[in-house]
This record gives sequence, structure tokens and C-alpha cells, in this order.
Amino acid sequence: MPQGDMILKKRLIDFFDEAHYLPVLQSTTKSEVIEELLQPLIRSGTLRDREIVLDMLIRREQLGSTGIGKGIAIPHGRSVAVPELQVVFGRSEAGVAFDAEDGKPATLFFLIVAPPREKQNNYLPLLGKIVELVKDKKSRDRLHKASSFDEVRQLIQEVDRSG
Amino acid sequence: MIQEVTDPKSKGQEEGLGFDVGGLERLREARKKLEAQVDRRSLSLYERLRSKYGRAVVPFQGKICLGCFMTVPTATLSRWNEGGDLLVCENCGRILYLL
Repeated sequence: MPQGDMILKKRLIDFFDEAHYLPVLQSTTKSEVIEELLQPLIRSGTLRDREIVLDMLIRREQLGSTGIGKGIAIPHGRSVAVPELQVVFGRSEAGVAFDAEDGKPATLFFLIVAPPREKQNNYLPLLGKIVELVKDKKSRDRLHKASSFDEVRQLIQEVDRSG
Repeated sequence: MIQEVTDPKSKGQEEGLGFDVGGLERLREARKKLEAQVDRRSLSLYERLRSKYGRAVVPFQGKICLGCFMTVPTATLSRWNEGGDLLVCENCGRILYLL
């Protein structure tokens, strides 16, 4: 059971959007894929400053890789150039080397960016919920095989229903 | 980011989720390199503001300082546009940058 400040105050599905779903990432390196994952947020005008956010994410990787193994990478960070907590979900068929401890390239990516302060404080709980989601092999397989955003949505809604 | 990682609570939370935050020295080195590019007066101002507010540099948008949410006077902005020094909020003193 999550503790007080690790409780997500919205449904997980509320953070996902088809416009922020990249089923076929093209990038081949870590910095390129982070930039590619930012594209939907740039296109929608969600970010106040692309360079500041990109710089922050690259520096976060210097602190320690956000590749958590089993083919999952969750680049994340806070920035004043991000007005609201955002998630972008992407997939790479070929995989991208992400300096994960198990050495496996990342094929599923969840980019999470947030402002330094948020009213509802969902940033860390959201990170936690996504880590929990991808720890399950069946969920990872379903995310890999999803042929549409609807199938991704279905999985996430099941996770929400199961609490 | 250095502040977040050196805070035991937030560091613990990230590590608890399985994220590596061990590269603090790399971040500190990057900070040192950046510091060397800043003049002493500005750096000293930055350090004073940082110890007072935590966040010394804040954005301004639509003439509002997003540190204290007061309006930055037009005259201040004009002086800065004409090639003035650092732009500083007259109310809270924080260093401003345009978003």
C-alpha cells in the first residue's frame, strides 16, 4: 500500500493521451530518443522552452540512467519550462542503448516531465505507478504488441480498476 | 537537480523506485565548469539568492516574475533590453529569465 505522499491523486489513464503516443520511434541513440519523445509536447505547445527541458533531461541521465532494465526507460525530471505534469509513451522496435544495469537496450519509453511544484503532487506517485506497471512481464508484452492506442488504453484502465 | 538529489527524502524516493541517482559528482563537476564561466559579482548574487530562496533564477512571463508573482516594471525591462546587466526582480531580487 503506497504511503501518503506516494498516492496518485488521479487515474493513471488520465495522464495518457493518444497525441502523446509514439508507437514507432526512429531514434537510435539515447539523446536522440529523448528529443524524439519531447516532440509531441513541443508540437502541442505544452513546453515553455524546449532547450531548457531537453538540457534538464540530459543532465538527469548524467546523474544516473533512467533505464531500469528489462527494456524499460523512464526519462524524467522537473523544470520551470513545464507548466503541467506530462507523459509521453513511445516504443522502439530495434531498441536504444540506455545504459541500463542489465545491459539490455530500451524498447519501451515513458517520458515524464513536471513543474518544480504541483498542486496535487502526482509526479513521484506517477513514476511509482508506471514502474509498477512495467515490472509485470505480461503488461510489458501487451505494451509491445499493442497495435493501437486503444489497446494501450485498455491495459492502463485495467491497472486503474485493479487499484 | 543537485538540491533534489542531496535531499535525503527525494533521493530515497527515487532510489526506492529503482532509479540510479549516484552520479552526483558528475553533476557537481558540470556545475563547477558552468560557474567558471560566470563573473564573480553575478555568482555572488546568485549564491546569496540561493541561500535565501532556494531557487535564485526564475522565469518571467507576461511581465510577471514567477518567483514572487509581482509585475516587473516596464522601465526595468526597457533598461534590460537596451543591453543592461542581469534582469532582477525589483520586488524579490531574484534573477529573471524570459520564457
